[in-house]
Amino acid sequence: MADGAQVAQVWDKASIQALFDPATGWLDRRVLSDPSLYQLELERIFARGWNFMCHDSQLKASGDYLISYIGEDQIIVVRDEDGEVHALLNTCRHRGNALCRAEQGRAKSFVCSYHGWNYGLDGRLLGVPGLGTFYHGDLDKSRLGLAKARIESYLGFHFATLAPDAPPLHDFLGVTGRTGLAMVCAHGDVEVAEGVQKNVIDCNWKIAVDNLFDWYHVPYSHASADASGFFEVAKIQFPKNQMVMLGEYGHAIGGPVIPREMQDQIDRLTDEQREEMSRAQQENAPRIRPKSATELMGSEGVRSQGHPNIFPNLWVTISGTQMCLRLPRGPSHTELWWYTLVPKAAPPAAKRDIIRRMNHVFGPAGLLEQDDGENWSQSTRSARGVAGRELGQALVMGLGHDEMRVGASGEHYIEGLISEHGQRWLYRAWTDWMSARDWADLQANHAQPPTGVV
Amino acid sequence: MDTLERPKPDETRAKTWADTQTAERAVVQYEVEQFLYTEAALLDARRYRDWLGLLAQDIEYWMPVRRTVTSADIDREFTKPGEVAYFDDDWAYLEMRVKKLEAGSAWSEDPPSRSRHFVSNVRVLAVEGDEITLEACFHVYRTRLERDVDQWVGRRVDVVRRGGAAGFLLVKRHLFLDQTVIQSTNMSTIF
Repeated sequence: MADGAQVAQVWDKASIQALFDPATGWLDRRVLSDPSLYQLELERIFARGWNFMCHDSQLKASGDYLISYIGEDQIIVVRDEDGEVHALLNTCRHRGNALCRAEQGRAKSFVCSYHGWNYGLDGRLLGVPGLGTFYHGDLDKSRLGLAKARIESYLGFHFATLAPDAPPLHDFLGVTGRTGLAMVCAHGDVEVAEGVQKNVIDCNWKIAVDNLFDWYHVPYSHASADASGFFEVAKIQFPKNQMVMLGEYGHAIGGPVIPREMQDQIDRLTDEQREEMSRAQQENAPRIRPKSATELMGSEGVRSQGHPNIFPNLWVTISGTQMCLRLPRGPSHTELWWYTLVPKAAPPAAKRDIIRRMNHVFGPAGLLEQDDGENWSQSTRSARGVAGRELGQALVMGLGHDEMRVGASGEHYIEGLISEHGQRWLYRAWTDWMSARDWADLQANHAQPPTGVV
Repeated sequence: MDTLERPKPDETRAKTWADTQTAERAVVQYEVEQFLYTEAALLDARRYRDWLGLLAQDIEYWMPVRRTVTSADIDREFTKPGEVAYFDDDWAYLEMRVKKLEAGSAWSEDPPSRSRHFVSNVRVLAVEGDEITLEACFHVYRTRLERDVDQWVGRRVDVVRRGGAAGFLLVKRHLFLDQTVIQSTNMSTIF
C-alpha cells in the first residue's frame, strides 16, 4: 500500500479485468475515482457506444435542434429540411468555437460567432467569409463540413456513436435494451414534456447508474419520503418479487416483477378489461400493459415493473414515465438530465397530471431524489483516499443464490429476492468495454449473460 | 403578474396602487418587507412547521425550468405552468416537504444544512383588495458538511394576502432561478 504503484498504474487488459471480480462481487474503488480510468472511459465507453441523444418529439420541425453529449463532446442534434436527423459535433472546423451556445432552438443554418463560417443543417460547410479574397479561393469546403456522429433510432429514441465500426443500434441494444426502451412506449406513442431538469452531483457517474438497480436502498435512503406521505415504500418495493434481466454489452433491467401466475391471468384479459382493472387499482399503481406490449417487450419483459439501464447511462424509470441521462463530468462529477414522458394521445389535463406527479419524484427537488445525491457523493469521496480505495466494495448480495432462466425471446432473467445481480453485471460489462481495443475486440470478447446458478 | 414592467396607470387592477400617496405606499412596503423578513428568519432557523403557518391554503409555489436560449427564443426561456418544473407545489405538497424534513430520516438535511435567505429589491406591483403582488430578488446561501456550498439567486413574484398571525399569508410564489443547470446535488431547501 502507498508505494506509488497505483499512481503509476498502466491500464492493460489484465489490470482492467482485475478491477472487478464477478465471482466474488469485489469492486476496486479506483473504478469510481481514478482520473486515468475516467479518460479511458470517455474513449472506450462513451465515444465507442451508442449514446442517447433525444426523443423524436423533441425535434418537431425542420431546423429544430438541441445540444446533447457523447461523453464530454457536445453534439448538435438537428432535424434538416428533409426531416432527417443529424448528430453534428458542435465545434467549428476553423478554430473549434462552439456553433450553438443555446441548449435548444430553431435554425436555418449554423453560423460560427467567431469568423462567420456557415454550416447547413446537415453539417455541410456552405459559406466562408472572404473565401475568394483572403483565402484566394484556396480552401476545399467539401473537406471542412462539421464532424458527424452516426445516428440511429429505435421506437423514436435517437442514439449516436463516434465509432464507425459500431454494430447497428438494434444489435447493440439487444433484447434487454430494446425491452427497456419499449417499456416507455408500452401504452402507445409518447412525447417528451417541455423542460428537461438538469443538475450536477459530486459523484462518479457509475454510482448514479448502479443505484438504479438498487431496490435495497429504498426503505432506508428514502425513509423520509415515505414519512412525508408522498409514497409508501411497501407499495413500490416488492422485495420478494424481483426480476433482473441481463443483456449483452451491459444493458440490464432490475426491480419488481408481476409474478408469472398473475401475468397468465392478465394475458387472458382483453385490453378493455385491463384498462378497467387499472382504473380500479390504488392510485399510482402502474397501469396494466395492453396485449400489444407483450410483442414489444417479450413475454418475460412485459412483466417487469423495474428499472432498465441502456448501457452506459440512460435510465428508464419504473413504468417508463421518466428517463434520466447520467453525463460524465470528470471522475467525481455527474450531470443528471431528467425527461418526463407523456402519452401522445392523452388529453392535455391528463398530461398535466402526469407531469405534475413526476415533478415531485425525481430531479434535484424531487421528494425521492433529494436523498440520493449525498450517498453517492460521499461514496465517491471515500474512493479517493489511499486506504479507502483499497478496501474495495462488496457487491455480494444474492451471489450464488439464484438461477438464470432463459425466456422465449432469448432474454436472460433471474427471479427472486432483492439482489445485486444488476450492479455486478454493470461492472462486469464495464471491464469488457474498458479492456477491449476496438469494437471487433469487444464483440469477440464481451461476456454473455451467465447461465445456471448465478 | 410575472412581469418586470411596473403596472401601467390605465390598468384597472393597478390603478388604486398607482394612485396611492407615497406615505401610504411606504407603510405597505414596510409591512410587506417585515413579513418577508419574518418568513426568511423562520426558514433560516429551520422552523419549517411555523413557516407552513404563513401559507394560505390555496398557495401556489412554483419554480419552472430555465433554459439557455438565444434572444430570438427568449419567450421559451422558462417552462410554462403545466410543464416540467422543479417546484410545482400546492399546500399539500409543501406540507409533505415539511413532514420529510421533520421525519428524522431526511439524510440530505441531517446534519442540517446551514442556510441564509436574503430578500431584496422588493417592489410592490399591485394592491388588489387584501392581496398584494410584489416582486423581489432572492439569494439563498447554503453550506453543508465540510465544504459543500450552494447559492441560488433569482427573481420571484409573490402574492401575499392580509391575514394570519404574521399579518399576511403567502398565496403565490413563482421563483425564477438564475441557473439553467442546477449547480447543486439537490434542492432540499425551501426558498
